[in-house]
Amino acid sequence: MIKAHKALATSNLTRTYNGRNVVDSVSLTLEPGEVTALVGKSGAGKTTLLRLLAGMEKPSSGLVSSGEDILSNTSTFVPIEKRRIGLVFQDFALFPHLTVLGNVQFGLNKLPKPVRKVTATRWIEELGLSHRIEAYPHQLSGGEQQRVAIARALAPEPVAMLLDEPFSGLDPSMREHVRHVALDAIRSAGVPALLVTHDASEALVHADKIAIIDTGRLLQCSRPDTAYADPTSEPAARALGPLHTLARDAFPLEMQANLPKGEMLHYRPEAISIDANASLSLPITRWRLAGPLTEMTLKSGNIELFAAARRTTSYKIGDLVSVRIDPDLVFSFEN
Amino acid sequence: MTTAIMTTWRESRSYIIPAVVISIVALPVIFAVWFGVTAGGTSTWDHIVQNRLLPYTLTTLFVLLLTAVIIILIAVPAAWLVSAFEFPGRRFYEWGLILPLAMPGYVMAYAWANFAGTSGPVQSSLRDATGWSARDYWFPDIYSAPGLAFILGTTLFPYVYITARAAFTTQSLATLEVARSLGANGASLFIRVAVPAARPAIIGGLSLALMEAAADYGAADFLGIQTLGVGIVRAWSSFGEPATAARLALTLIMIAFLFLICARVLQGKQGSQLTTARWLTPTRSKLTTANAFAASAFCASVIAVAFFIPVGRLVWLFLETGPGRSSIWPPLQSSVLLGLAGAIAAFLCGLTYVLATRHSAILKSASRLAASAGYAAPGVVLGLGALLMLKTTGFALTGTIALILLIWVYASRFTSAGLEPLQSALGRAPKTLDFATRSLGTTGIRRLLKVDLPVIAPGILAASLILFVEAIKELPATLMLRPFGWDTLAVRAHAYATDERLAEATLPSLLIVLAGLGPVLLLSWRLSKSARTQS
Repeated sequence: MIKAHKALATSNLTRTYNGRNVVDSVSLTLEPGEVTALVGKSGAGKTTLLRLLAGMEKPSSGLVSSGEDILSNTSTFVPIEKRRIGLVFQDFALFPHLTVLGNVQFGLNKLPKPVRKVTATRWIEELGLSHRIEAYPHQLSGGEQQRVAIARALAPEPVAMLLDEPFSGLDPSMREHVRHVALDAIRSAGVPALLVTHDASEALVHADKIAIIDTGRLLQCSRPDTAYADPTSEPAARALGPLHTLARDAFPLEMQANLPKGEMLHYRPEAISIDANASLSLPITRWRLAGPLTEMTLKSGNIELFAAARRTTSYKIGDLVSVRIDPDLVFSFEN
Repeated sequence: MTTAIMTTWRESRSYIIPAVVISIVALPVIFAVWFGVTAGGTSTWDHIVQNRLLPYTLTTLFVLLLTAVIIILIAVPAAWLVSAFEFPGRRFYEWGLILPLAMPGYVMAYAWANFAGTSGPVQSSLRDATGWSARDYWFPDIYSAPGLAFILGTTLFPYVYITARAAFTTQSLATLEVARSLGANGASLFIRVAVPAARPAIIGGLSLALMEAAADYGAADFLGIQTLGVGIVRAWSSFGEPATAARLALTLIMIAFLFLICARVLQGKQGSQLTTARWLTPTRSKLTTANAFAASAFCASVIAVAFFIPVGRLVWLFLETGPGRSSIWPPLQSSVLLGLAGAIAAFLCGLTYVLATRHSAILKSASRLAASAGYAAPGVVLGLGALLMLKTTGFALTGTIALILLIWVYASRFTSAGLEPLQSALGRAPKTLDFATRSLGTTGIRRLLKVDLPVIAPGILAASLILFVEAIKELPATLMLRPFGWDTLAVRAHAYATDERLAEATLPSLLIVLAGLGPVLLLSWRLSKSARTQS
């Protein structure tokens, strides 16, 4: 199953609608065996970029290539049916008139019949659906349908996989399991994969790389930890989690020493955390639980500071807490 | 666009085939309109302008206006009753009120003319009971413009009934609840809230009904009313004046198009009424005994007048007089063969539209326009367009050519009717299915057989049935174009009826109604199914 796969890449890829660049000079490389998450706000150009990669649309300029093979540039355009790129959509797009086996076999028509069935069955097993092989799409749960869609896309050994918000339509209780099975299967197939998502935590937890796009431009593409802790711009930082902005002078004096250079600073809430040994104590004005963390608002003179702590205890408004700042999660984008 | 056409045969094929189909569908209308616009004035045309055009147009408009009033008065209250209240027989009325769609206007006209005419059972009984002679009393005359409006109104009201009922059942319950909390109830809830909210749907349905009414030829010709449709055939066959016929056709098609545009614009607006599922489908309130009786009586009399009385009268006449001297088989055979050929032609055009125009917005708009043109153009205009095409090319209307032209006209007229079920079947599949298919390397014939046809299979059955029955019911174009020996049931029924041999017209008429029941029952089944899924 493991073959030498090639990277899927774009270079200065641009798509213009009515004079506006919806995708603007994007150069991105998807490495084999890696899942790259594409994150950005609604209308940032995520889906258009996916459509350009898939060959659903022609770019206005720029290049799309798979290894040495050019998929589209100014003179060439390989249509979607010739690209051998696997697609998975939020709405599954299963063929309603075919069984699970029929759906997965669909793209294998060039293989001899017995091989077709064996290959399809292997993929169905890989995604844990052997017991549903004869079922029709309407008899399956959402998670099962999405796994069929992924098996169907992987079976013909595509050169790349493109997934457009594949898990956001699923019930939260099954989302984690389906995501795990699906991304494992994609990684073990060794193909480059692009996962379009609006869920920053999905990207942070499950992707090998994160590409952040805003108003059509690629802001950053890096490993999740780098993208989160070392963003290259304010929009890129905001795309992956909450960000608070404060003038350098407004921070308590005790915190200012280690902060990065720059007048206007941006920090993640976890940058300010509770530390019993810290010298600075501030009163709590608000607090609330946010999953495993406690988010709190602290008062420092006239300024509000936002902090996040692992949930250890219950707080009261007005309680004094000792806090420290982690300068690694404070960013300056002035240069 | 030019480079796209030139790149490969495969790509250009996807433009050429739909373009050819678009031309096929649009050509008869284009010919009729083109002749209407460019034909020079002739003495007959002057004569018609001075003496006839205005009366033809005024009569048509008067009939349409009256038809509209009748339709509104029947359809809107009926739709409100069955969707807002519970009363005995409601479940039957709900679908029974669609039955009149199975009756072509001309069949309704034959039946009612016989039933309520001077020598019919109604007036005979009146005279027997009172001892009057025919001159001693006034009785509504069916052979009049209001008579024609009555016939068209009772045949076509289901168009409004269907759209109004859909609007009433999907009306936001929240709106109705608010209106109730503000003191609106009963009639005031209906007039102040329900009807205004359903107005786009009602006017949309009414526009389609009036477009069909404007297209009528058979009923008007039988009743001797000088509408534009009748005028076109007269100008062609009696005066031998194609230019005049084309001018009249131009007027008629403009009226029909106006209604179609009106319907399309309003159909687009209907969506805005829908709110979330949680607030749909008001529960029906129970009526008091007296009101329930009145509601039931209203619905029952509408169905009786629009379906059971005319059908019953035809059955009675048929049983009384027997099948007549000439055999029913030749026209039945012609009807089935022409119906099949017309349905296949229209189906293939519709299928090409639906499948081939998915990727091109220009082709999609062009094909929609062509199909709408064919749909809005009355059969008599298309028949004329076809004859004008023959005249221009120098062929004679004989044998095979006539058959080809007739099937061509069927395709032009009915493609639009077949499109709807195909498009709705395709619409139920997710849009991404197309990309999924192509990303798996499947195109061309394999894609058609393995994906497209199975996906639209539910629509194919409905489309075929509708197209077949529409082709069987078609009268004016068949009358104008059929070759010798190809009288259909509709043509035969019309010939007998206008010849005052109504007894012999009954069997072909009943067979047409019987065929018409197929799509109507399918439609009512679908409507009640969609009503169930909404509730």
